Amino acid sequence: MTHPSSALDDTIHQRVRLGILAVLSESRRADFAYLKDVLEVTAGNLSQHLAILEEAGHIQIAKAFEDKRSRTWVTVTRRGRAALASEVATMRALLDGLGSGQRP
Amino acid sequence: MNADEARESLAFSEYARKRAREDMGRPWLALVLLASLSVVSLSLTDAATSPTGLFWAFVGPVGAGAIALYAYRRNRASGIDSSPLAYVAITVGLLILSYTAGKIGFAFQIPAVARFGPAFVAAAGYFALAWIERSWTVAAIAFSLLAITVAIIGFDLSPQQSKALVFGLYGITLLAVGFSLRLGRRQLL
Repeated sequence: MTHPSSALDDTIHQRVRLGILAVLSESRRADFAYLKDVLEVTAGNLSQHLAILEEAGHIQIAKAFEDKRSRTWVTVTRRGRAALASEVATMRALLDGLGSGQRP
Repeated sequence: MNADEARESLAFSEYARKRAREDMGRPWLALVLLASLSVVSLSLTDAATSPTGLFWAFVGPVGAGAIALYAYRRNRASGIDSSPLAYVAITVGLLILSYTAGKIGFAFQIPAVARFGPAFVAAAGYFALAWIERSWTVAAIAFSLLAITVAIIGFDLSPQQSKALVFGLYGITLLAVGFSLRLGRRQLL
């Protein structure tokens, strides 16, 4: 028998990375500056989180040159969407278990 | 991660999700829907070749196109991009349903369906959009349209009075959504 928390994905089991996937799952794509603003993180911090998610295949990053400025667009992959849905469901189940007095 | 951290992470991801929805400026989709349905409703109550019918047949699509272009450019500038495909499908679907409702009323000589069918279909469309968007504003529009249509039937208002009421609601809605877009733009800037 495995502990329920073993279903949690270490790659996205983090506040900022969950936030990145939540924003991207609602949209077609978001740019670096927007994510930095919404998630209230520094550029360096955000870059690190994006690199981890990209390496895991949860997001795709594309750089473009628009209106005389460089823009970094981030898109969630199908795998990323599935991982987010699974993570949120697992966390809710664990919290529900705690609420009903069970030990998770 | 303990329970408090898990709750905080879930709350944060929910906040991020809602913020993204708001920033994508989806009210323009309601506007596109509204503009398109105005054309259908008005063209069904007026003769297609009357000056009013011709006016709306031209101004409606042009206005809807202009709003869509504005919303697309605004989304790109804000740094978050949404796919309008689902909303285009909803708009086209409702146009067909609304038009069909009016035509059925005319074909089977049922004046009530010919007059009020498109408005009921439009209200149903707005309720669907409100549910998709989780938007109380769109739900309020749907409810107002439904209430006005029921009032028109209940008080047996003349076609002129009915048109004035429905047209007034459209006007107020356009102004309200336009105002909310302006507020949203100020927040972005």
